[in-house]
Amino acid sequence: MTRLEATRVVVSAAGEAPIVASLGHPAYDLFTAGDRPQNFYTWGSMGMASSIGLGLALAKPEARVYVVDGDGALLMNLGSLATIGLLRPPNLVLVVMDNGAYATTGGQSSPTSRGADLEAAARAMRVEAATVRVEDDLRARLIGERREPLVVVAKVSESAPTARPPLDCVFIKQRFMAAIGNPEAAAHVARRA
Amino acid sequence: MRERPAWASGVSAGLYAAGCRDAVYVPDNPLSHVLAEIGERYRDVRLALATREEEAVGVAAGLYLGGRRPAVLLQSSGLGNALNAVTSLVVPYQIPMLIVVSMRGDVGEWNAAQVPMGRAVRPILDAIGIAHATIESPADAERIVALTAATAFGTRMAAACLVPRRITSAPAP
Repeated sequence: MTRLEATRVVVSAAGEAPIVASLGHPAYDLFTAGDRPQNFYTWGSMGMASSIGLGLALAKPEARVYVVDGDGALLMNLGSLATIGLLRPPNLVLVVMDNGAYATTGGQSSPTSRGADLEAAARAMRVEAATVRVEDDLRARLIGERREPLVVVAKVSESAPTARPPLDCVFIKQRFMAAIGNPEAAAHVARRA
Repeated sequence: MRERPAWASGVSAGLYAAGCRDAVYVPDNPLSHVLAEIGERYRDVRLALATREEEAVGVAAGLYLGGRRPAVLLQSSGLGNALNAVTSLVVPYQIPMLIVVSMRGDVGEWNAAQVPMGRAVRPILDAIGIAHATIESPADAERIVALTAATAFGTRMAAACLVPRRITSAPAP
């Protein structure tokens, strides 16, 4: 499956739930698969998508939080797996789009193309994890009740995105916060009143 | 309850008064007093350990998006570890958080490896547009932390409160 096909599966499984996307191609594919206010597109901070998702999952235990990460991005913040394993929010689902390459920066090979195993890394940090290669298996992992956080490593091929999400970071944030029930402007006004 | 340094009680009280109920931290010796104080006196504050300061900033950003008012507790050396998340997530998305910086490398430092980053903390914060205030005496701590947090959450920008070594290295009362 391509990363875009896998991303469409995530969007479909998420329903109204928030999705946090790592910068570059994962975010571009999320926009193409289905732009929605509950998408938080990062434009920088490589590696932070899983941490943002973790904080969001802690803040909103009633919501399931999906993260669309990349293999290179997760490798840049591998400690995140240890923290997820420590704090264990049951509502966090981290989907790692593993294409074995730094596609956004020109397709340089990543360590996963030579056998680095992110599923094993997650398990070593006490996080339930699975590797999937086809859409049906990915879909099956994303649905159903959960009592533990989950890492799904989706082996994908590059899908060369052609569209990009909005560039205005504050717009992305405010639209996202309003859509998930924390309208920032309202809170700001309320505190001043 | 064990007696804690006045500055640590003040930092904890200021953080709590500002509405912070989440504190994400990377361990540091002086900050251990703050963590212990929060753990004993402010039990509705969730303490979350991060493996690295950049990660702590990312988790705090997610907490804010989820409607919380997060604090990040770190040592000045770790501010260097956190800079990419601060400059490419927190600043452009205008995500507020209170950052409490336990200073190393300032007057009283014994470890040369801590000095360059310690000296650079204020120029870096100025360069990237992060407001900062310094606790000048233990009696000031609560007020300065609360004011720093008010700046952060009012203006929707991260703001940093620096705790110098001349405060944190004083013997406990």
